[in-house]
Amino acid sequence: MNIKIALGENMSEEHRQHHINLLPGEAASTVLIPDDSGRVQLFAESMDEAEKVTQKREYITYTGKKGGTQISCTSTGLGSSPTAIGAEELVRIGTKNIIRIGTCRAIQSFVQPGDLIIATGAVRGERATEELIPIDYPAVADFRIVRALIEACTRLEQPYHLGIVRTHDALYLEAPFAAGGRPANVQQWVDLGVLAQDNETSALFVVAGMQGVRAGAILLYSAAPHDKGLEERTRVQMAAGIEAARILHEKGLD
Amino acid sequence: MEKQHHLHLLPGDIGETVFLPGDVSRAKIIAEHFESYKLMASNRQYNTFTGMYKGIKVSVTSTGIGGAGAAIAIEELVKVGARNFIRIGTGGMIQEWLPRPGLLVITAAVTGDGTSREYFPVGYPSIANLEVVEGMIASAEELGLVVNPGLEWSHDTFYAGSPLSELDILAIEKPWIDAGVLIASQEAATVLSISMARNCRGGVLLVSSGCHQAPNEGATEEETAQAISDATRISLETAVKLYKLDH
Repeated sequence: MNIKIALGENMSEEHRQHHINLLPGEAASTVLIPDDSGRVQLFAESMDEAEKVTQKREYITYTGKKGGTQISCTSTGLGSSPTAIGAEELVRIGTKNIIRIGTCRAIQSFVQPGDLIIATGAVRGERATEELIPIDYPAVADFRIVRALIEACTRLEQPYHLGIVRTHDALYLEAPFAAGGRPANVQQWVDLGVLAQDNETSALFVVAGMQGVRAGAILLYSAAPHDKGLEERTRVQMAAGIEAARILHEKGLD
Repeated sequence: MEKQHHLHLLPGDIGETVFLPGDVSRAKIIAEHFESYKLMASNRQYNTFTGMYKGIKVSVTSTGIGGAGAAIAIEELVKVGARNFIRIGTGGMIQEWLPRPGLLVITAAVTGDGTSREYFPVGYPSIANLEVVEGMIASAEELGLVVNPGLEWSHDTFYAGSPLSELDILAIEKPWIDAGVLIASQEAATVLSISMARNCRGGVLLVSSGCHQAPNEGATEEETAQAISDATRISLETAVKLYKLDH
């Protein structure tokens, strides 16, 4: 297997990124970022060939090939803080496209467990990105990645929802199973047409937007973590992310 | 239905796609690019022309400057049958690398406008419709025109974000300049946000003669007028593409 990527010129250990533990050139130009570090194994299994590049804290990176396209996968851990770190460091090593492969909790009744959501943008309900730029700045997916994800779902004959999600920092405060929480908080977002809530997407979109790289997100509505059907849906979601990366490559967007 | 309060329009007076210039006099300039056109109503800053282009009915309504006036126009246009909104406007670029004049396809907007804030809570993104963005880019390519896609900063006070201001506008704009936002203007976020709120397609194509970092090195009036004409041609072809998606 030869999937090593040539290092950029004059790259030395001082360029190794603090958390993701990668040097410029050590990942493909398109990187899938699941929050769940367990998903990198699923990525590896879904590729024609793949190997582990590095692991540090919650950041595990695999690089592989699918149909001749080189793609990497870096887990970020759950939450906006580690997602913002992961995205920032991926940009610093030269990543051009970052696609979040995550789970979410739908808040619209027409979205069913196991459904896929392609996010066009995200409400900035987290605080990580407020340290970077005022709240008026939009957390928006790159339209080319949105289109690539749509085309990927179409190729895989998978239905999807397209729209806005909301990212926030306190899952157990607003989840329907919150104990002593405030699940009613979500009603205003339901009324505004927000499809789902998660803890990462707006952090990715803001960091990528500010740095001039393309970002997107395909989310899986996971209602019950031990639902057996979910495993198969997770495979479908990963396949869609990989297919989107291939489509970006076909379009010369990597 | 009685005619709309500000626009003085009735159902049937307009096409599904409406172009929205801010400048009152520009409505007619845009309508002159149609194959035929007729003044449907004129009240306050709102001039509406409707005509035909490549077999479809299209309209243009001037909104005046600012989000508040544009929001009123969109709300009333929705009530009389509009489904797609394309703002054709001007602004001041805030990235020196952009061509002058520049033709910018706005993909999303910084919501520094009060109107977006009243429709959506803080933090809610103001996003252009994907099909409009793609339609503009494809149409520009077909016409052999160069467009740059990216973000716009919408704000409400012209004299706090223009080279004509006495304030240090580059300091005011620094967060947006550093983040790669392409242009400052006053209406994009409103047009995109209200389109989202009303389940319509919204898009914005901006023309700019120059950038705030080099206010004396802009394009000529003739070049800018040509760019506005080019923006109109792109918008008309985009309207045709949207029509084909829907019919």
